[in-house]
Parts: sequence; structure tokens; C-alpha cells
Amino acid sequence: MAEFLQLTLSGISFGMVYAAIALSLVLIWRGTRVLNYAQGGMAMFTTFIAIEVIYRTHNYWAGFVVALAAGLVLGAICELTVIRPTLSRPPLNAVIVTIGLLILLEGLAGILFGGQFRSFPAAFSITGLKVGGTALGVSRFDVFVVAAVLATTLVLAVVFKYTSAGLRMRATAFNATIAQLSGIRVARVLTVGWALAGLLGALAGVLVSPSTFLYPNSMDIIFVYGFTAAVIGGLDSPAGAVVGGLLLGLALSYVGGYVGGSVGSELTSLVAFGILIAVLMIRPDGLFAGARMRRV
Amino acid sequence: MSNGPDGSSAGADHIPVSADDTAREGDGAGLTGRAAPLEVQDLVAGYGGVTALHGVTVTAGAGAITAVLGANGAGKTTLLRAVSGMIKPRRGRVLLDGTDVAGRGPEQIVRAGIAHVPEGHGVIAELTVEENLRIGMMSWPSRLARRRAPESQRADRAAALDEEFARFKPLADRRRKLASTLSGGERQMLVIARALLARPRVLLLDEPSLGLAPRVMAQVMDLVVRLSRERGLTIVLVEQNARSALSIADHGFVLNLGRVVASADAPTLAADVALRHHYLGF
Repeated sequence: MAEFLQLTLSGISFGMVYAAIALSLVLIWRGTRVLNYAQGGMAMFTTFIAIEVIYRTHNYWAGFVVALAAGLVLGAICELTVIRPTLSRPPLNAVIVTIGLLILLEGLAGILFGGQFRSFPAAFSITGLKVGGTALGVSRFDVFVVAAVLATTLVLAVVFKYTSAGLRMRATAFNATIAQLSGIRVARVLTVGWALAGLLGALAGVLVSPSTFLYPNSMDIIFVYGFTAAVIGGLDSPAGAVVGGLLLGLALSYVGGYVGGSVGSELTSLVAFGILIAVLMIRPDGLFAGARMRRV
Repeated sequence: MSNGPDGSSAGADHIPVSADDTAREGDGAGLTGRAAPLEVQDLVAGYGGVTALHGVTVTAGAGAITAVLGANGAGKTTLLRAVSGMIKPRRGRVLLDGTDVAGRGPEQIVRAGIAHVPEGHGVIAELTVEENLRIGMMSWPSRLARRRAPESQRADRAAALDEEFARFKPLADRRRKLASTLSGGERQMLVIARALLARPRVLLLDEPSLGLAPRVMAQVMDLVVRLSRERGLTIVLVEQNARSALSIADHGFVLNLGRVVASADAPTLAADVALRHHYLGF
């Protein structure tokens, strides 16, 4: 029972990171109908910026804030420079451009920051919490991870639902033509969408790197998990992305924990791919897609 | 659904109120003494390698309903799209009260005073009725531009919303419901109300009667008439259904293969049997 609790809690913690990546993919998909394969690379890059800031200032929070700001800026720059020219072209162009962007960012990171594994600090203690002598399997930092992603998600949800800027973004996502004819500056909205996605990715990178080490490819597997979570939830559904992230986090945690030894940890990525393929075959619109057909 | 104000539907006995028509075919001059709010001059536009409009000149008189008629593929929708900026004209001018807005983006043209209700699917089904309407006010000057207190701007917006809800009762009843729950007629009301919230001087309507039951269609036509008569709105009405469009229009242009082939006041067009058979299908 104690093991189940530990696996569940750590699954939730990792799941929230996947949820953040999934949410960033959903934001971009809804706005521009582009699957951003560079999302993990962008997150890795901003995390490197964070680590440099932390080493120089000896202040974790300075690095944290700079990473999020860098995520915003990087997202906007990517949209303005390489994505916008592809939007009037066949969808495959954008896909290839994002893959190219990923390779570019990983190459640049290797040149600028080096290819070696670097450990990334955590904001809080990573030693496990205990309740009355029972180890919970989660640390203060894990709690912070969950709280940070939840808080960010809630803020975004409120902004989307209740503000004029949020309505502009939703209108653009659902019907760009009507949005434009109504006076919404759609191009600007798309840039903001990419910037917010960059911020979410940066958050995920900073939160996950203490448990994975940081190197130019370190976010690749996290991206795959985030992508799987987004597909589970349906690429159009922000709520689905969060639920998908949690489901995947739990599933991978149980597999890693209950299937013994090194086999279990090797198995997790395999299981993630298995889930991805199964969902795509059985419910390609995701588990939470409504009756509405996807308009592609 | 009850917006027939006086029970009079758009009947064939409707009498246009415009002054005597003086326009000749392809003639860009104003219809009356008043300057025309919208003058499209020699417009050339198309998609990719295809040219859909070959130098179209159309004038919409102030406060009048101008029908743009023609068969499928005549270029009616392209004309509206080029006027509202959805596609960039290759040549020609779009004069709004004398200012050429051709080549500007749609988000600028709606700010200049032309609202375009495109054909079909104009409702954003995933948003509520009220949210759909709020989108209509996105072209209003922003807080910073107007330097006014946010409270008074919020009040302005709320008042504008209430005005439309008073005009369109069925929408008020479903304010917080998703737009996907509306009937066809209510959807048409919603998109027209949304366009009105942009406070346009010129309203472009693309096939507002498309897919509606005859009774609902009559109500929509009735609404268009009231917008013109009561609000003094200048309306350009694109219709496949030429008979009902001419019954409410003051003036009509007939397009064929991207060119204006006829321009006259509505009764004259409706009385021209050869033209009707040839281009209008009734």
C-alpha cells in the first residue's frame, strides 16, 4: 500500500510536467494548427539559460524567472521568424520547419553550453517527505512542481475564460476568419499563443531537469511524453492535456515501480509509445474529444 | 423566433424608397445627390492563378440596400471578400466615404467602417452567444487609445450588448448558451448582431438566407430592410435568391463571370424578363 501511494504521488508529480508540455502543444495546435516538434528543444534551451543565470547569481529564483521570460521571448521569436512564413503553405512545411528548429536549438545548445550532462538545482529539498515514519515518495520539490503547474494552468484558464485577451485567443483558435473580420489582430494573437507555449515549456524544463540532468537532448523523451499526453487528451482540449499528463504520469510510474529493476525503467518509454499508438488507433481525436469532428 | 415587427414579410409588393435611379451599366457615379459611402472602382481580384473579378465597378448608395446578384461563380462572394480585405485586390479602388481602403487587412477595414458577414458558418459554435457578440466589439478603440476609464468603457460595451439583446430577444434568452444550440435563423441573427456591434457604416451580407426555411428567410430579409430604413445603414446584399433580394433592394448589380453585366434600380431589374432568364434564374 505504501508503495502504491509513493508511485501514485510521484506519478502525479511527473504527470504535471508532461501536462505542462502537453498544454503548450495544445496552445500552439489550437492557434496555428501546427504540431511544434521543437517544444522540447525550446524548453531545453531556456533551461540552459536558467542554469547559467543560477550559476552566475547563485539565486535559483533569478534563474527560474529568467527561464520563463526567455520562454516567452523564444516562443514569440520562433513564431515571428520561422513559423509565420509557413502558415500559408501546406501543413507539412510547418512540421518540417519545427523539426529543423529542434535540430538548430540542440546544435546551438551544444555549441553555447556544451554537451556534457549538467545537474540542475531544485527549488526545494528533494529528499522524500514522511508522514509518521511512512515515506510518501515525494519531496517538497515534487509538491512545488505540482503546485507550479496547477497554478499556471489555473491562471491560463481564468485568462482564457474571463478576459478580453482570452476571448480573442479562443475566437482566433476556433475561427480565424471571423476573428479577423471582427477586428481581432490575428497575427498578434498567434504570436502571443506561441509565447505562452514557450513559457509553459520553459516551466516544464525547469521543473523536470533536477530529476533528469540537463544536456542538449535531455528534453527529447519528456517531449515524447508530453506529446503522448496531449494526444491522450485530444490536441484541441486544454483540460484534456492536463488529464492526459496525469494519466500518463501515473501509468509510467506504476510500470516503472511494479515491473522490477532495470526492466521497469527501460519499459516506461516503451509503454508511453504503446499508449500513444493505441490512442491514435482507437480514438485519434483523444479520449476527451467531444462529438465535434476535427476540422482538418 | 418572433422578430417580424409588423407582420409584413418581404413581399413582392414592396416599394423601394430610393430616389430615381440614374446609374448606367458600369457607371461608378452616385445614385443620388448624396455621396455613396461605398464605391468600388475597377476592382480586379482572384485566387492564385485564377482571376475572379475583371474590373468590377459597384456603388452602394447611402442608407440603401444594394443587391449583388448572379449565378454561382459570378464573383459575388469574391467581391465582398476583396472589399473587406479578406483577399487583396490586384487592382482598383475601394472607396469608403472617399478614402481608398483597398489593400488594407480585414482588421483595419472593419475599423474603417465596413462590416462583413461572410456566407455560412459565421457563428463560432464553441463560444457562447454573448461571447460571439463580444467579438463584435473587438474593433472598438482600446482602453489606451481612448484614454477613458475602464469602468465607463465597460459600461459602453454592456449598453451596446443590451441594445442588441433588446433587438434580438431570442438571443437574450440564450445569452449564456453555446452558439451551437441556436437554430439557423437565430444563428443568422447572431452574426448580424455581431456585425452591428462593430458599428459599421457599410454592412456586407453574403447570402444571409442560405439554408434557411422560407418563413425564417422572410424574417431575415425583413431584418435587413429595417436595418437600412431605421438605422440608415448602407447594405450590400449578395444573394443567390435574386427574387427575394430584388424585392427588398433599392438597386441591383448583376455579375457574370467576374464582370458587371447589368446595373439598375431593383424594379427595373426584376421587370427585365430576358435578364432574369439569362442571369438570375427566375
